[in-house]
Amino acid sequence: MVDNLENEKKETKELLSLAILAGSIMLKNGAETYRVEDTVNRICKSRKKTKYVESFVTPTGIFVSLEYGNEIMTYVQRIKTIKIDLNKIDMINNFSRKFAESDLSIEEGINELKKIDKITGYENTIKILWGSLAAGFFSLLFGANLWDFMASFMVTIFVLIFTTKLCKFNITFFISNFCGAAIASALSILLVKIGLGENVDKIIIGAIMPLVPGVAITNAIRDTMSGDFISGLSRGMEAIVIALSIAFGVGLVLKIYFKGVI
Amino acid sequence: MEFIKQFFFSFICTIGFAIFFSIPKNSILKSGITGAIGWVIYIQITNIFSSTILGIFCGALTVGILGEMLARNSKKPATVFIIPGIVPLVPGSGMYYTMLAITEKRFNDAANIGTETIFIAVAIAMGIIISSSLSKSIKRVKNKS
Repeated sequence: MVDNLENEKKETKELLSLAILAGSIMLKNGAETYRVEDTVNRICKSRKKTKYVESFVTPTGIFVSLEYGNEIMTYVQRIKTIKIDLNKIDMINNFSRKFAESDLSIEEGINELKKIDKITGYENTIKILWGSLAAGFFSLLFGANLWDFMASFMVTIFVLIFTTKLCKFNITFFISNFCGAAIASALSILLVKIGLGENVDKIIIGAIMPLVPGVAITNAIRDTMSGDFISGLSRGMEAIVIALSIAFGVGLVLKIYFKGVI
Repeated sequence: MEFIKQFFFSFICTIGFAIFFSIPKNSILKSGITGAIGWVIYIQITNIFSSTILGIFCGALTVGILGEMLARNSKKPATVFIIPGIVPLVPGSGMYYTMLAITEKRFNDAANIGTETIFIAVAIAMGIIISSSLSKSIKRVKNKS
């Protein structure tokens, strides 16, 4: 009897850690907070033994409380890096539905989640090439000409290679965005001096487009409007700080340029 | 001609960012079309009513509705289509210009551009929230009947 109870308790604990694992993979890859809350709740409620689940998710951490028998278990998970990986969000979403509907054992579930976490998706070179192409077309949307497009494309390739290299050294996002923006504006000025491209400002705007926090500020407002004030505040803060770091980087180089040093 | 040009530019732009955000392979084209239609509607509405905010709102609403429809169709979360789709509309350059103005002590410019940036972000968020709550209520009505 006692053994049985102990086993059930252990199982519930494992269920909780599975839910946290799924939630943290989603949050790390840029899912909205309400979607993470839904997923964690769905996974925890899928097994009948749990009475009560409440989760609280912010972009920097997940808190889940789960009542089982007459005990309450709580789990806190801190999240540090946030990038956007839509493929993983989709896969975890499918997994949580499958897990809730079928009798998949918890161990198998955890193995599957770990497999999803390790998927790398597209090659870095492909990502960089398409990101730069998008940046080039962004300058065209802002009214640049064909030469500006070429310049912006080339500058962005350099910037993205540099920032992905910096990411491997675990450098804080402020520094990497600052360096990326500085390099982008320095190279743009250089290319215009050589004669490739005419409008410095349009090339720079295109080149920093993969860095600027447009999606972050929109998500911040969206979270705030749906009542998740803490998520909204923290995402908004992230957006403001990133924009500030980019402005520092570009502003520094432009200031040196206008003083006539380069 | 201008119309086709804008459609093509924003199409490539959306696809580029979709791959940058590692979208699932079978959704690349769909997200590109979503983003391009949203951008063209933004351009048209802005030209007709000469109001950027209204244009952005209509563009985001279109992206949201198309995204929800595609999401139901291909059984994926709507974010997969909405995040790349709003990228051309999103006020990234506005954020940058605001901060640049602040670092250069041009506070009037900062206030001007900053307010517009925030209004654009609010318009996009409203468009997406309206479309997602519409799709939720349609789902509820369908489940009841």
